[in-house]
Amino acid sequence: MSDWDSHPPAGALGGPSVVEVRTSATAALIPTIRAVASDLAARADFDLDAISDLRMAVDEACATLVDVAAPASMLQCTFRVHAEHIEVHAHVHAGSADAAVSTDTFGWRVLQTLADHVEALRQDSADSVDHVGPTVGIRLDKHAGMPPR
Amino acid sequence: MTFEQPDAHHALLVVEGEIDTLTAGSLERALTELLNASADVLVVDLSAVTFLASSGLAVLIRAAHQAGERRLRLVSTARAVRRPMEITGSDQLFDLYPDRTAALSPEE
Repeated sequence: MSDWDSHPPAGALGGPSVVEVRTSATAALIPTIRAVASDLAARADFDLDAISDLRMAVDEACATLVDVAAPASMLQCTFRVHAEHIEVHAHVHAGSADAAVSTDTFGWRVLQTLADHVEALRQDSADSVDHVGPTVGIRLDKHAGMPPR
Repeated sequence: MTFEQPDAHHALLVVEGEIDTLTAGSLERALTELLNASADVLVVDLSAVTFLASSGLAVLIRAAHQAGERRLRLVSTARAVRRPMEITGSDQLFDLYPDRTAALSPEE
């Protein structure tokens, strides 16, 4: 678990382009989010394995978060597209106070293999009136891989 | 997802589409049916699968363990299926075939 807002500033000259996808936190909408991931990676000239890996990693991260999300809450997924890598930050408001991203699962091990870097995030909600549980998230980073031949 | 038994020795499950948390449950039920078949050769044709999440992979791995000595034969050449198996090393648990005909043919 690490600090929440340590990502580099977006929108600076030559900085990453940013895409945010916000959906209901339901498994039914994860195919839409992973399609966005796949599309961004393809446009950023990722190699085919890296595109496949990012699509699967984003799916895994979102599925993990939807599992702990509060009922009728939202899933927010932010993509920062850099020249050679894509950084993904997804988070939800959890449904229970002791909720956290489980990192002792097969899915998490797969996620660690798919991404070049992955970390689980957790921050207790400042606004405890609106949200019972903490904000839990996953940040991951994927490099473009070998240039296409 | 369709299950068929072309003859007494072969059982075949054909899977299409995306295998993720939404669909892994129905794959698991179909695989249970396949494993219960009294056939020597168990084939899962994944040629038309366009996405395989870890939840789907976990279901296939469990089925491979349950199949034991019979070994599950998987059909796919698609990156969407091969890549998750390669990076997790789970490709060792299955016999992989490029097409259904090869998978259904007798052992050499």
